[in-house]
Amino acid sequence: MNQRRIDCEQALKQILAYIDRELGDEELKAMQGHLHTCKSCFSRMEFERLLKRKVGALREEPASPQLSERVKSLLKSY
Amino acid sequence: MGVSREFFEKQLLELLGPLQGVARRLTGNDADAEDLVADTVVRALRALDTLECEAALRSWMFRILNNTFISDCRRAGARPRTESLELESAESEEGHEFSLFEQMHQPFLLWFSNPEREFLDKLLREDLERALAALPEHHRVIVVMSDLEECSYAEIAEALCIPIGTVRSRLARARSALQKALWEQAGEYGLQRAAASGA
Repeated sequence: MNQRRIDCEQALKQILAYIDRELGDEELKAMQGHLHTCKSCFSRMEFERLLKRKVGALREEPASPQLSERVKSLLKSY
Repeated sequence: MGVSREFFEKQLLELLGPLQGVARRLTGNDADAEDLVADTVVRALRALDTLECEAALRSWMFRILNNTFISDCRRAGARPRTESLELESAESEEGHEFSLFEQMHQPFLLWFSNPEREFLDKLLREDLERALAALPEHHRVIVVMSDLEECSYAEIAEALCIPIGTVRSRLARARSALQKALWEQAGEYGLQRAAASGA
């Protein structure tokens, strides 16, 4: 079965969905095929992925102790 | 079907961090964020019998959080979020969105320097915080849910009551707006020219 090929215009439209892991199987394979051969789109993808990671690093993981206690009290009283 | 109280309580305590994270980004301060999450929990407890299955809990809680925030804004007389129709018509326009990469990438320099990568390397936490805070709410919440809390498009669609296609386009616009905010901040520090020249 021939893998579907996409051009740069189509790849750029899907780059964010690619880094978000939201492409279906066929779209993913076509995208991976394109990124293997296109330095420009690959560079763009890496940039968007790195920026997303940097934004993701702003996440503050655990809830504050005050909030945890407040919610536990709420759960007891309801 | 439905969901047991025991399951709800156990999962809720694990979800508190992400809920507080989104609440902080919506309200802009810790005290209001705590109140928002507490109100969300109360509403969830009252509506628990409407939750259809365990798998839907996360997106259901984010939806209640978002709706509670909107109600609070309206009650406080704050400028109401432009919802559905206005947002959808703005977002249906095809347009070229701002891209940091396109602003800085210079293919002929590929082997010698990488200005867009250097720009990212110089970004401080506070630069990103400031750019994120500058986004309008409907962009901020979707970036936070996707990039910080790692929600899927389906979860975001469920939480914000929008189609998955709208999640995709709104997220693209939100990220573009974030990049534009970062670029404008760089201009304030005189870094735009340096970034563009690859210095």
